[in-house]
Formats: sequence, structure tokens, C-alpha cells
Amino acid sequence: MIELDFGIAQQLAEEASPSSAIQVRVGTSNSELVIASMLQPLITEFGMRGVYICASRSATEVIQTMERVGIDTTGIQFIDSVSSGFIGGTEVPYPNIRFVDSPIMLESIMLQTLYHLGEKSDTGNFVILDSVNALSIYNEERMLAEYLHTFINTFRAREVLTGIINVPDQTPPGVLANLDLYCTDLIDRGQVVIH
Amino acid sequence: MMPSAHYQRDRCVTGITGLDEILRGGIPYGSTVLVAGTCGSGKTTLCMEFLTNGARNGEACAHFSATEPSVKLLENVRQFDFFDMRMVDQGLINVFDMDVLFSWLGMTKSTFELSDIDAMVKSITDIVNTIGVTRLVIDSVTTLCYKIPSEQLIRDFLFKLGKALATLGCTALLVSEITSSGAKAYWSSFGVEEAILDGIIVLGDVERMGHLLRFVQVVKMRGTSHARAKYALELTPKGVMLTPMLKWGAVND
Repeated sequence: MIELDFGIAQQLAEEASPSSAIQVRVGTSNSELVIASMLQPLITEFGMRGVYICASRSATEVIQTMERVGIDTTGIQFIDSVSSGFIGGTEVPYPNIRFVDSPIMLESIMLQTLYHLGEKSDTGNFVILDSVNALSIYNEERMLAEYLHTFINTFRAREVLTGIINVPDQTPPGVLANLDLYCTDLIDRGQVVIH
Repeated sequence: MMPSAHYQRDRCVTGITGLDEILRGGIPYGSTVLVAGTCGSGKTTLCMEFLTNGARNGEACAHFSATEPSVKLLENVRQFDFFDMRMVDQGLINVFDMDVLFSWLGMTKSTFELSDIDAMVKSITDIVNTIGVTRLVIDSVTTLCYKIPSEQLIRDFLFKLGKALATLGCTALLVSEITSSGAKAYWSSFGVEEAILDGIIVLGDVERMGHLLRFVQVVKMRGTSHARAKYALELTPKGVMLTPMLKWGAVND
């Protein structure tokens, strides 16, 4: 059973605004805990709905993890760019999952996100991007930096809160520098690995 | 000379998310625009959404289908939320099979002569005039042009059609099928369509690591300034959605 990190809820309550772009630094072993600790207050305390972009793990896996913690994911639309990578991956029992062919289809991910946000109310929406590291496997550094620049500015202009998950010591340096520059807030639960 | 900052032509608002912004408000009224694209690039969907958005505002619209039977076209477009079959039933969207039109006109030959072309333009404009059509789509003009034996006659056909539709205040999208786009910049099958018509909207695919990403690009539009960048295109249940294509990802691998 995951024990939630209530410091994240407190930080969100004190610092976040509807248009915050939050860089969420996680470690290799605590990402589920940090993401659950972020989603729980967004959904239950702030009554928000949103879109969750899956590039690290399949949406089914994320939903099942959140269900184990007791987080209701029915108000979240999942955009899964992982499961089309293997045959049978898109046969899922959840109606709130849409699939994008590959994490290389960055613009499709953006448009699917905008489409699903358009289906929801105008205010109180969030977008979680999980994760920069997974996108960096498929996308060249400067293209990913350009995408994050567009991504953050698009949703800030629409007053949509964004949470951008990354493992800092495994994120390309140029991308990380850009995240530091563009994001308005930082939730830092990343582990520093000393080689 | 710089265009006057004060005069702006009235626009036919396409209602397609992002496209009107690219066109700084929409297509100038009465324009005849080539919608050129490769197969599967979204030409038919874009055109049907253009008509549907007009019909939703009470405009009379016409679709001339030359590549597939109208029944099949309507069945395919019914999957989209933007389309409402009642618009067809109420006569706001009028779908015509070109084969049927040719039969009515007695045009049974494999190639068209000047008199056939005149008859075809007259029959289309008669329909536009009778119904009061303000938005028209021909899908595809390439199929019709295959029956026209010379570039000069194709030029005559498009010029006469464009002129007649403009006189009637009808904004038209003529679909053109192209086999490649991008580097070679072929925007029409016969090479003459792009010069005659008022605008060119190109649809195609960018290949990125084995995946095809749809794009749209307004290459030319007389009577308005417009963006000329590539925009990524996604077909959603609500219709076409556009977003600027990433600059580092706008070329084929």
C-alpha cells in the first residue's frame, strides 16, 4: 500500500494556481507515490478533472495503480502512447483511454489533449505529462525542448494546470534547463544519484 | 505597394478549428480553392466539415461526388459528431453523384469536349443558382479533369467554373488528388489547377520514424494574408483539429 506524501498536497494548496506549470521531479523508485500524491488532492480536494498523458507506462497500469490507492480515475481522460507499441495493448476494459500510435507523435498527443479538454468544463482542468524521460527516448532533444515550450505555453494560456513528470538526473540537460526556465513551480522529489 | 490596412474582404468562415485563424478570419467569399492532398490525408473530412458548418448556419451547401457514391460518402461521414444527417434531409446539404449528372446531360463519352465542359459548368451553376448554394465542394476535380484531354481545356473548365461561382457568391473547395507533396511541391495533378484557382490548401503526411503525421498548409489564398506554415492535423470525432507542427519535426526523416 502506498502512503501518500501529504507535503505535495500542502504545496499545491499553498502555491499552485489554475495556470501553474509544475515540474514534478521524481526518482526512479518513487514515481508512483509522487504522482498519486499529486493526483489525489487535485481530484478530491480541488475537484479538478483532466487529461493524463502516458508515455512511461500504459494507461491501464496507471489506472490500476491509482485504484489501489483509492483514487477515482473516472474523471481523467488517459492518452496512452505506449500500448499501441505491442499487439493487444489497445484492448482495454476502460472507456476513458484513447490511444496515440507512438510517443513520436507529439502533435497528435497535443491535439488529443486539447480535444479532451474541450469536452470538459472550461475551468479546473489539469494535464499530467508522464514523462519527459519516456518522450526523450523517441524524440530528439531540441524537438522535445520545442514541444515542452509549446506544451507549457498552450496550457498556461488556457488556464490549465500542468504537471510535467521527469527524473532529473536522466533528463537530457538541454530539456531540463528549458523545464527550469518555463515551469512556474517545482515539486522536487527527485533522487540525486551519485555515481 | 502594401495592401490597404482598412479594406478587408468578407469571409466565408470555415468553422474548422484553427483554419480560420490561419486564414485570418476565413476564406474570402466567392473564392474557388484547391484542396490538394495525398490519399488518407483528410481532404474529404475537411470539406464535409466545411459544408456542415455552413449548413449549421442555415446556408445551402452542395457536394458533387465524383470519386465515390454519395451513399458511401454519407455513411463514412456519419461517424463524426459534427455531421447531422438531418442537414441532408432538410436540404441544407445537397449531395450529387457526378455520374448521375453526366447521365442527365447525356455525357457518356470517355473524354469531354468544350461543349461538354460548358454543359457541365452550366449544370453545376444552375444547381447553385436554383438552390442558392453558398458553399460547394467537388470531390474530386482530378477525376473530372482526367476526362478532359488537354491542359488548355482544363484551364478553361476551371476558369469558367471559378468565375461563374464567384459571380453567384459561392465559395468552393475543389479537391485535388496528388501522389506526393512536400519537397517537390506538386499541388495539383495537371499543373494548371494551382495557377487558375484563388487558393491552395495542401494536405499530406510527414513521415517521422515510420509514423505518418497528417499536416495542412495554406500555400496560397488570394484576398487575404495567411500563415504559410505546416500545421499538424488530427481527425477527431468533432472533426479536424490543427496545431502548429514542431519546427524540428516538420520535415520527412
